[in-house]
Amino acid sequence: MRSVEDIACVFPASLKEALEIQADEKRRGRILAGGTDLMVQWESGLQPAPERVVGILGVPELRGIREEDDAIVVGAATTHWQLHTSALVRQFAPALAASAATVGGVQIQSLGTIAGNVANASPAGDLAPALLVTGGSVVVASVAGERTISLAQFFLGYRKIDLKPEELIVRFVLPKLPYGFREGFTKLGPRAAQAISKVMGAWRGKASAGVVESFAVALGSMAPTAVRLGDLEAWLPGKKINKKLLDEVEAKVTASLKPIDDIRSTAEYRGWVSGRLVRGFLEELAHVCG
Amino acid sequence: MSGAGPKRLIYSVAVRILRTRVRYSMTTGVTHRKGIIGKGIARVDGLEKVRGITQYVDDLDMPGCWHAFVVRSPVAHGKLRGLQLDPAFDWSKVVVVTASDIPGPNLFVMHDRSMPVLAADTVRYIGEPMALVAAPTLAQAKEAAAHIKADIEELPPILTLEELVALFKDGKLVTGVEQQAPAGVGGFAGGTPASGDVLCSQSIIKGDVEKGLAEADLVVEGEYTAGYQEQLYIEPQGMIAIPQKDGGVFLRGSLQCPYYVVHELHEALGLPADKVRVRQEAVGGAFGGKEEFPSMVAGYCALPALKSGKPVKLIYDRHQDILFTTKRHPVWVRHKTGLKRDGTITAIKVDFLLNGGAYLTLSDVVMYRGILHAAMGYRCPNVDVNGLTGRTNVFPSGAFRGFGAPQATWGMESQIDRCAEALGVAPHEFRLKNCLQVGDTTPTGMVLIDSVGSPTVLTEALQRAKFDQKLKRCTHGKPGAKSWYGIGLSFFAHGSGFTGDGESKIGTKVLLELGWFENGRPGVTIRVSSTDMGQGAFTVLSQIVADGLCAAIEQVRYPLPDTSLAPNSGPTVASRTTMVVGATLFGAAQKLRAMLEEFAGKPITSARQFDSVADKYLQQHGPTRVENGFKLPDKIKWDQKTFRGDAYPAFAWGCNIAEVEIDPRTLALSVRKVTAVFDIGRLINPVLAKGQIEGGLTQALGYAVMEKMGIRNGRFDADRMQTYIIPTMLDVPEYDIHFVEFPYEFAAPGAKGVGEMPMDGLAPAIANAVFQATGVRMTDLPITPEKLLRALSAKDTK
Amino acid sequence: MKTVKRTWVVNGESRTVDVPPARRLLDVLRVELKLTGTKEGCGEGECGACTILLNGQPVVSCLMAAGHVPDGSELMTVEGLEKTENGRLLQEAYVEKGAAQCGFCIPGMIMSSYALLTRNPHPDEAEIRTAHAGNLCRCTGYQKIVEAVELAATKWKRA
Repeated sequence: MRSVEDIACVFPASLKEALEIQADEKRRGRILAGGTDLMVQWESGLQPAPERVVGILGVPELRGIREEDDAIVVGAATTHWQLHTSALVRQFAPALAASAATVGGVQIQSLGTIAGNVANASPAGDLAPALLVTGGSVVVASVAGERTISLAQFFLGYRKIDLKPEELIVRFVLPKLPYGFREGFTKLGPRAAQAISKVMGAWRGKASAGVVESFAVALGSMAPTAVRLGDLEAWLPGKKINKKLLDEVEAKVTASLKPIDDIRSTAEYRGWVSGRLVRGFLEELAHVCG
Repeated sequence: MSGAGPKRLIYSVAVRILRTRVRYSMTTGVTHRKGIIGKGIARVDGLEKVRGITQYVDDLDMPGCWHAFVVRSPVAHGKLRGLQLDPAFDWSKVVVVTASDIPGPNLFVMHDRSMPVLAADTVRYIGEPMALVAAPTLAQAKEAAAHIKADIEELPPILTLEELVALFKDGKLVTGVEQQAPAGVGGFAGGTPASGDVLCSQSIIKGDVEKGLAEADLVVEGEYTAGYQEQLYIEPQGMIAIPQKDGGVFLRGSLQCPYYVVHELHEALGLPADKVRVRQEAVGGAFGGKEEFPSMVAGYCALPALKSGKPVKLIYDRHQDILFTTKRHPVWVRHKTGLKRDGTITAIKVDFLLNGGAYLTLSDVVMYRGILHAAMGYRCPNVDVNGLTGRTNVFPSGAFRGFGAPQATWGMESQIDRCAEALGVAPHEFRLKNCLQVGDTTPTGMVLIDSVGSPTVLTEALQRAKFDQKLKRCTHGKPGAKSWYGIGLSFFAHGSGFTGDGESKIGTKVLLELGWFENGRPGVTIRVSSTDMGQGAFTVLSQIVADGLCAAIEQVRYPLPDTSLAPNSGPTVASRTTMVVGATLFGAAQKLRAMLEEFAGKPITSARQFDSVADKYLQQHGPTRVENGFKLPDKIKWDQKTFRGDAYPAFAWGCNIAEVEIDPRTLALSVRKVTAVFDIGRLINPVLAKGQIEGGLTQALGYAVMEKMGIRNGRFDADRMQTYIIPTMLDVPEYDIHFVEFPYEFAAPGAKGVGEMPMDGLAPAIANAVFQATGVRMTDLPITPEKLLRALSAKDTK
Repeated sequence: MKTVKRTWVVNGESRTVDVPPARRLLDVLRVELKLTGTKEGCGEGECGACTILLNGQPVVSCLMAAGHVPDGSELMTVEGLEKTENGRLLQEAYVEKGAAQCGFCIPGMIMSSYALLTRNPHPDEAEIRTAHAGNLCRCTGYQKIVEAVELAATKWKRA
């Protein structure tokens, strides 16, 4: 039985070095960033410890948050703590900052990374809904070059992402919150902190005079991956936010997804409260946008 | 100084103040004004804890220590045909222990001698130990364990409380079945009782409950359930067994009751009791989870230690600790209450069913405490409490703070609110009218005379929380409200000291040793078996001794309890330590002080005097020991067979008031504030007492609203800290905690128990508040938004 | 098994270890460095008993591969508190308020307190609670820990 003690690790000092290792089938290993998911799985035996691991926290090209025209660019190894304390993220992707602040406690936030969270692709991954509503992309790299994939297409299924074995996630390109738009995020868990969500959601939208102009909304822990409610998003523009609309939206949302029972919650509650959550988002939109 | 005999300047001051039928009396045991009883002094072991130098069992440096690993049954119920050791594995580097290796009888004593140390021919729960492996490293031990296969013919299991309740309602849960003790050395040859049988049962009968129900104007019924609760001490179970040259064994571990380990193990180990030495190391939390269970951990490392001759360590990782240790008994309580229109209670009928898991262990005493609290608190001439514990093929349920009382109070205080509602009386008015007070009789026929904090705890709490004003603000599920608000209360007593005939059976003994400390000054060493698991026993008992001696706290020390050095002062359980052991130590300290005062020819009234007198005494007489034993007052009469009489020397009393807010949008429940008033007799250390309440209420909060543990595929489902959820610093409500003192005068200095009490009453107070907020009564713990949704939907469809 | 060498500044002292690269930092601290103050409560990063400071930031050492901690990193454990004035006053505040009961969560808890006050010497109650949300305690109900941090804040010496 292999334990973490037996894992052979390399710690590349540059992106070039990391990509060359991953390009070589004989040297390729599991990519390890903060370890807040993988180390738990390997130590507990939930997943067998791999033979080889490539630790990427020392790769400088994966760090940093910067502005680039209408987007913010977030390095793969950015921690949750860095996300929610970054002035850029708080201003231009506030739902992402809010999500990062709800991950575990300070200690987990100090270690866990955006790429790790996305690559783990848990249905309850805290950052996915906020990332999805930005309409952003992820950039992955290999020795062959870079590939940009829309986040909407990146989550393929339960714990599956569009990443080839020789590729590495290097950065996220997230359209800034446009002028006049707002964002929000809500996570419902079994306690106030350090909890995996029962249901969560993020939204980005604009309204004026109580009428929806644009509305993007994504829910997590409701399906094998986080999901954008595309049909609802297409239907809403032009509608006035009033009680009748909110009742309709609540019913549509509850009817549209098939969540499951698990140790945290029930399908019945998830189905019901997801409608309530999106209703709340629209009320918030009306309130902040006027 | 005149007077024959030791001039003990101790006098009783009995102050009878008649205040609305309350009798308040106080005995002071010391003359000097500057006693440290009642002072919130810093805990004696506080500094080492914040320096990180306290040694818990896994911190001990044990070079050459081997590691144990337990081979466990993968099925819930079956006939164990045999174990096969893979011949391809090199067994020479490890040691394996199976049932046939056990030197003495293959059993833990527990309360019925029916639980094997290692399963021999039957397995009764997933995880039941079948073999033990020890090796130089844990990895090697796990590797070896993976090469042991069990051949088991599966039998049908019974797994849940629901199944037991169904059997009970069908009249198929058979009472009166006696478990036969197993016979023979080296194998468990007892009969295989059918699952779904009764592990133990007991009734409490007062008056004629059927007559009482017939006389009633109104009969109210209710059923209440609560699930498992895991103690989740932050330090997992751990034990080291060190074989001794004389053939004995020295056990060092995280435990509450050193003498329990001796008692449980020595027969199986084939050793006389005095060859099993047990020492408590620093304990990182216990809550009852380290009461009886460490005896088993000790067995699992002592056996391979004795077989191999090597010291062997067994530290559970968290996953193993959650899966393979004891939990609070799940409960089903059914109430039937007879009421008169004038608001009095004519009959209380209770069925109290616990899920005991695969073996009895100590479920009988849990059930006893449960039934003694199941109809407690109110005046009623006709009471019938029918207690049963059913067997299931799951890990045996065990001790957890409250020990049956939280389950009983959950049922009783929910039911009392239901009764008030049925009569159209406010919940606090109904309790004020009916609560037991001085002169009243409990369900077992005990007349409440001494140290009765009722109705004071109730009136005080109601006033502090402004209950009747806030009751008017409750929303009752009003549609369209932005937030639902509710306030609810519970009122309860908690028996202090061991249940029933327990205290007299224990025969508490304590020892004080007067001698020189390392600093060259005289001091007193406390020798008792009582452990500090965080509750502050080292400090509180040291304060009591220092006060009795008129010494400073620095002149008293309390080393880690070690059975080779300390007598048996009983287990650290049952809210008995401060009350019973404290009183026995106080008596010993007074004896020692009397000896010193006689030697000096004058009273000792300061620590400086204690130092100089003791110094001279030691120079003349050398180190000196003083013993003392605890004796219950003669007037305490208890019949264990009929369950009538004085069940406890005294009751502590409490009232909890919870205020909740529910977000109608998500049904997320928030407990905003808890007002709690307690009578725990004389407060020895108010800071430590408050700390116990704050911690206990938080653990009770978890029981009420977030700690959920069920059975899936035959084993506990929330088997990690990620899935078994306890309150964080952000989950805790505002606490307003207050004590009223009604000292127990028969055990100076007059403390009663505090450890378990904060666990008892918060869950029903919260459920009662939720009822006021939403209009629905939640009858199953924990109360979650998912269950609220279901209850509200059911209400709407009516 | 190929081991890696790492040299860190641990509680102000230079220490070098030579360990399997994915050995948990918690084990390296407790076994190789003999700093048993830091505890294991769960091994899955949930309880916070293994919290230490890495370059001033609180982390759960049970989830960290030792090899991933670069040379020159500054590590602070509970044993390092008494070497600084603020660390000592924080310890005194904990003792004065009765913040420790069984003490097992305390080494991790007090490191979170130290990190908070270093970053923000005047936290309000909400900030205190948020900063310690990743440290579970089963004994105290947290109240006296909050009071201890508030007390320490009144005396904290800024850099």
